[in-house]
Amino acid sequence: MSSRLEGQRRFINLWILRTSIGLSLVSILIGLGVFLAKGRDYLPHTPAGSIASIIVDACQDALSLHASAFLDFGMLVILFTPLVRLGAGIVASMRARDWLYVLIGLVVVALVSLGMLTGQAGG
Amino acid sequence: MSPLLTVLVVLAGGLVAGAIGSLTGLGGGLVIVPLLTLLLHLPVPEAVGVSLFGVIATSTGAAPRFIGTGYNNVRLGLFLQVAASSGALVGALISHKVPARLLFLIFGIVMLYSAVMSFMPTKHDAAGAREDSPLAKRLRLGSRYKRDGQWVDYKVAGVAPAFGIMVGAGFLSALLGIGSGVFKVLAMDRLMRLPFKVSTATSNFMIGMTAATSAGYYLSHGDVSPLVAGPVIVGVLAGAYVGGHWMTVLPVKTLRRIFAVVLCFVAVDMLLKGVGI
Repeated sequence: MSSRLEGQRRFINLWILRTSIGLSLVSILIGLGVFLAKGRDYLPHTPAGSIASIIVDACQDALSLHASAFLDFGMLVILFTPLVRLGAGIVASMRARDWLYVLIGLVVVALVSLGMLTGQAGG
Repeated sequence: MSPLLTVLVVLAGGLVAGAIGSLTGLGGGLVIVPLLTLLLHLPVPEAVGVSLFGVIATSTGAAPRFIGTGYNNVRLGLFLQVAASSGALVGALISHKVPARLLFLIFGIVMLYSAVMSFMPTKHDAAGAREDSPLAKRLRLGSRYKRDGQWVDYKVAGVAPAFGIMVGAGFLSALLGIGSGVFKVLAMDRLMRLPFKVSTATSNFMIGMTAATSAGYYLSHGDVSPLVAGPVIVGVLAGAYVGGHWMTVLPVKTLRRIFAVVLCFVAVDMLLKGVGI
């Protein structure tokens, strides 16, 4: 990989990590703040089902400023961070025409996605 | 325990787990799971699910410090990740069928093993293998890292046996909610003969993806309470950031040994729970 591509890869990786950490921290801290302010009646519910349905539920909870929405969003950001980093790595390998590592990266994406799908099915 | 106290206890536990995980490469799960099961009496699958989110946070929080140092070998990490994620997938699938007492026993044994291995000397620290193995050559796994401001090339040996160990590491990660960093670091350090900091940083990169493979399973299965996972993530991110920074200046070997002694005590507690005492 050329030093220019390597530099871009580092910059994107750093940006992904910092954005993820920032978003997750802010979201979870707001969620905990809302929960502690509103009390036990607003106990966050435990998400379950497909990842898509958890995202939809979080969006609906956000409209009523429920703590669950912020906590779930923070958790999802953390969950998807390795996948986003992996995606960035695959794109970098494609730009470097490193097809072997594009393939290896896609296999890992498939395995991680399979983990989420099997949990939804009750595994 | 009141919700506020629970949040504060879990937050503090996450902070310690994140710092230890990023400093020693052993993964914060070894702190989080005992905290949640022994102190907060959470069922094992729920503690494991929450801990896996903590493990991803450890990996994410420590990673920025490694960028630009060359410590993290992305090619090697990706290749070994195929094995680790495969093992994690199998581990997640059988996780709800394994009795809690058996999990406590396995966890205790893994903790004791991790503790004992922390006292073993690292023969190839910062030196690396002399020659690339044929598979390492074919996969272009050799790379370079920064040492004392200079780029140092290193070679990679023992790729096939390390690949096999990664399957087991992934399996245990999903079953016990740990990063399995101890197995990953040992495989890279002793079999692949990588410089120790390369092993630690590459393991850190891998534990996030391994944990994500099974964390999605536990989340979809309804095992991850946001009120527990949230403070764990915040604590771990803060702890991992501090730990990742200290990694370059603190005597890591000494810290690993202090942590190992603590691990021994917790391991005995887990084993006693496993045998029903």
